[in-house]
Amino acid sequence: MFGLIGHLTSLTHAREVARELGYEEYAEQDLDFWCVAPPQIVEDISVKSITGQTIVGKYVESGFLPEMLLTKKFKAATRKILNAMAHAQKHGISITALGGFSSIIFENFNLIEMRQVRNIQLEIERFTTGNTHTAYIICRQLEEAAKKYGIELCQATVAICGATGDIGSAVCRWLHARTPVQDMILVARNQERLQALRDSLGRGRIMTIEEALPQSDIVVWVASMAKGMEIAPEMLKQPCVLIDGGYPKNLENIIQVPDVHVINGGMVEHALDIDWKIMKWVNRCAPSRQLFACFAESMLLEFEGWHTNFSWGRNQITIEKMEQIGAVSVKHGFRPLVS
Amino acid sequence: MPYNELRDNTSASMIDINYQSPQYKDSYSRINAIVIEGEQEAHDNYISLIDLLPDRSGDLLKLAKMEEKHKKGFTACGNNLKVTPDMDFARAFFQELHQNFQNALKEGKLVTCLLIQSLIIECFAIAAYNIYIPVADPFARKITENVVKDEYLHLNFGEVWLKENFTTCRAELEEANRQNLPLVWQMLNAVTDDAKVLGMEKEDLVADFMTQYSESLANIGFSPREIIKMAATGIA
Repeated sequence: MFGLIGHLTSLTHAREVARELGYEEYAEQDLDFWCVAPPQIVEDISVKSITGQTIVGKYVESGFLPEMLLTKKFKAATRKILNAMAHAQKHGISITALGGFSSIIFENFNLIEMRQVRNIQLEIERFTTGNTHTAYIICRQLEEAAKKYGIELCQATVAICGATGDIGSAVCRWLHARTPVQDMILVARNQERLQALRDSLGRGRIMTIEEALPQSDIVVWVASMAKGMEIAPEMLKQPCVLIDGGYPKNLENIIQVPDVHVINGGMVEHALDIDWKIMKWVNRCAPSRQLFACFAESMLLEFEGWHTNFSWGRNQITIEKMEQIGAVSVKHGFRPLVS
Repeated sequence: MPYNELRDNTSASMIDINYQSPQYKDSYSRINAIVIEGEQEAHDNYISLIDLLPDRSGDLLKLAKMEEKHKKGFTACGNNLKVTPDMDFARAFFQELHQNFQNALKEGKLVTCLLIQSLIIECFAIAAYNIYIPVADPFARKITENVVKDEYLHLNFGEVWLKENFTTCRAELEEANRQNLPLVWQMLNAVTDDAKVLGMEKEDLVADFMTQYSESLANIGFSPREIIKMAATGIA
């Protein structure tokens, strides 16, 4: 059995969904209540592969909301994630993806040191960040979008915002080794890590986002911000492809400039319908075939019987692992979403 | 917001506590009394339940004895810090829940009694002890760690019985939850300040209680939708 740990994008969104589901008790509550609310399994899911294999899983709503980070309720944020993980483990889920901010919180608040959750010792091998599949899908989206919008990679400049993160650094390595991208711009806050990344790649220009945007043909946004991606559209080159790997994905509605093409980064489309409601709640507009690549990773691990923390730690994603997960992604009928 | 720069802000248990300060001892006199009284009530309740569950008298006696042992352990914790527990405060603290249990007992309402003792009180104890352990003095920590292991067994006793009889006891459980859960929030409010002095945040206590209580309701057989409604009763 696979699991998905997810959360909603804001308190307003959470209230709307609670009301929609008929949970009036939750719909009226403020952020403090969401801080103490327990995790819930809100949906049982079955997914069919194009190979004919069918697997079952559960969606665990952690009750985390990005406002907990914005208002510095870090203890509540970490508790939500640990409780959701303990909940998944107690329900016997073999492999669970940490969706949205869950993996970022786990990593940045060093929750590996807090594995004892009451009477449960978290078994880390049961959890995956899903970042390897996400990084692979973002790279494939980039390649396909470039083709679709007539951008020659061998003449293109690609800016990676959030380049030193787990996904960002993997994307950089892939672009360097597997694509003819002419020029890479590395954007991140931590200069030390940026320099280390540049040294390991042996290429890439380090600059601020303001400097990077006007010269980039493709922008990959994988920085972790509680409000999603923030870019001033007037700074963008035209034509330009923007791959929004943030959460929530809010660029599509904000940026409506001709010749600027926004791609929902890290999203996949399955070849067959999935009978679930949860993607509609967490991402609103996604129909029954579209989902986050990180969620799909736990499905792939379940399909293949790889019950292991395939993606774990920071900056451990190799090109070989991206190819490995990419091959089974194709095998089971997932493809990068380029709409 | 760059989260990686905020890494050090979370360590919950790294609070520097002076266990000998007058303020700590003052708060401890009430919290320690509540724990002692809680264990005493639990002991008495399990003995009382023998009347309603005579075929389980062996198990109930065993549970009651464990609670008595816990009471002794927590009494020793108070002695260790040279604190006199404020038992009058503790008895007033449990008064309403105590009365509801007694009323249910008189009416032969076994399900209500089990909800109060085996679910509410045990979940409350488990949540409080788990939050207390990282901030306890070394003597009390050791005792509490052993106690909390027992409390999971006690919780399980009630869960198993209620699960086996779920179809017939569902309605009474819902009613008993409606009556008694709001008391838990009141009780938590009454000790928020004292708990804070001991290094325990109300938010953590509420969150752990709700998580444990929801899990118990799920184990008994309630659906996620029913649990959401039940566990949030009276919290606003």
